[in-house]
Amino acid sequence: MREVVDDIRVGVIHGPGGQIKPVWFDLQRKQHRIQQVTNSWHEKRGAVSLIYFHVSDGGALYELVYSPTEAHWRLEMIEALL
Amino acid sequence: MMRTIMHIDMNAFFAAVEQQSNPALRGQPVAVVGSQQRTIILTSSYEAREYGVKTGMTLYEARQKCPGLLLVKANNRLYTHVSSQIMLIFQDYTPLVEISSVDEAFLDVSGSLHYFGSARRIAYLIKSRIKTRLGLTCSVGIAPNKLLAKLASDLHKPDGLTLIVPEMVANLLKDLPIEEICGIGRKTTQKLNQLGVFSCGELGRYPVKKLKRQFGIVGEKLVLMGRGIDPGAVLSPEQEAEVKTIGHSMTLRKDISLREDVARFLAQLAEMVGRRARRYGMSGRTVTLTIRHSDFSTYSRQQIQATPIHRSEEIYRAALHIFDRLLMTLPVRLLGVRLSNLQYLGQQLPLLPEERRREQLTESLDRVNDRHGEFTVMSGSLLTVKGKGSYVISPAWRPEGIRNIGVR
Repeated sequence: MREVVDDIRVGVIHGPGGQIKPVWFDLQRKQHRIQQVTNSWHEKRGAVSLIYFHVSDGGALYELVYSPTEAHWRLEMIEALL
Repeated sequence: MMRTIMHIDMNAFFAAVEQQSNPALRGQPVAVVGSQQRTIILTSSYEAREYGVKTGMTLYEARQKCPGLLLVKANNRLYTHVSSQIMLIFQDYTPLVEISSVDEAFLDVSGSLHYFGSARRIAYLIKSRIKTRLGLTCSVGIAPNKLLAKLASDLHKPDGLTLIVPEMVANLLKDLPIEEICGIGRKTTQKLNQLGVFSCGELGRYPVKKLKRQFGIVGEKLVLMGRGIDPGAVLSPEQEAEVKTIGHSMTLRKDISLREDVARFLAQLAEMVGRRARRYGMSGRTVTLTIRHSDFSTYSRQQIQATPIHRSEEIYRAALHIFDRLLMTLPVRLLGVRLSNLQYLGQQLPLLPEERRREQLTESLDRVNDRHGEFTVMSGSLLTVKGKGSYVISPAWRPEGIRNIGVR
C-alpha cells in the first residue's frame, strides 16, 4: 500500500439525487478505466466534507477523494493487486 | 483517552473462500461440511442461509431445508492460509491485533487514527483490500471497547460497517436482549431470566450485590456488560497469556471398543501433541486423557509424571496407562490427549546413553517430518490409521507460534 497525494482528473457520471460515480481517471498520462467501486463513504475533515471512493482498475486498488465544495479530485492511496 | 476498537468478522468465511476458489459455486447455496464422516454443517453461504440452512445442522436437516444445497468438504489448509493473509493486512494499521478465531479479530486503532485520519477510513481500507485481493467481505464494528465493537459488527451483515459512539450506547442497549451480548451464554441467560432480567438495560440497572450473590465475581462484570462497559484490552499474540496446555482430540469415524483400536488413536494423538511440544521446546508433567462415549458422556483423567516429558511414546504410554485403569462400559466416540504443567526444555543432553540415544532418534524423526510433512515417518502401529492429523481448526488457532496447528 502506498500513500500518495496527487490532484487528478476523474471522469464522473452524475446521477439522480446528487449521486456521483467515477468511471475513469488519469494517472501518469494514462487513463485508467474503473472496473469496480469497492466502497464509498462521506467523511468530514474539519469543516470540509469529503467523499471517498475505493476503486479498482483490475490491476490496483485506488483511493480517490472528492471535495464537493471545491469540485476537486485527489488520489490518496494505491495498492497493487497481485 | 477514549479507545477506538474495531471488531472484524469475515462473512460466512469458509463458504465464501470456497465460492472464491471455485467460480461455479458463486451465487449458489453452498454448505461447508467437515472432512470426517460424522459431520454437521460448519458454515453456509448467504444464499443457503436464505433457505434456513444453519451452522450445526445435520446434513439431513440441511437438505430438507434446501434440496439444491451444494456440499463442499472443508479445506482447512486453504482457510488458515487465507486467514493468515487477512491478519497480515490488519497488521498494516496497528500492531494491536487480537485474533479471536480463524475469521475474527479485534484491532485497537486508537494510536493509528492520527496516521490514517479516522477509524472509518481504516475500516474501509481493510474492507476494500480484503475484497479486491481475496474477493471476500467482512463486517466491521467500531466502538470504544471490545464488547460494543463485537456487538456493532453483528448488527449489519454481510459487508457492513457500524460505528457505535458513547452517546448511542444507552439507547442501543436499553431493549437489547441479553443473549445478544458476547459472553452471555445460554445458561447465564436462563439464570438471568429467572431473576427477571431480559434486556441489557435491565441488567445494567440490576443491583450488583444481588448479582454477586448469584454469580460470584462474575456478577459485577455482568452489570458492566449490561451498561456496555468492557475494560478488557486488545491483546496482541505477544501479550496473550502463555500457553498452558498442548492438546489434540478427535471424533472417531465410528465408535470403537477394542483396546488395540483405542491404543492406535492414542498413539496418533500423542504424536501430534509431542510434535507440537518439541517444536516449541516444551515438555510437561501432566498427561490428561479425555474420553467421550457413544452416549456423549465425557470425562477426563490425568496422570502426573515424575519428570517432564515431551517424546511422543512417553505421552502415549502415559495416556494408555490412564486408559487401562478405566472401566469401559460403552464404545468410545471421541479421544483427547493433553500435556500440561508445561515448562521450557533445557538444552542439556540426558546423561544415560540409552536416554540420549532415544532423544537423538526423536530429533532425527522430527527433522524428517519437518522436511517431508507430518507422519512421513511414524510408529508402525499408525500405518493402518486413516486420516492422520488434525482436521479441525481449533478456536485457539493462530497464524504463528505454538497455537499454529497444522490442519489437513
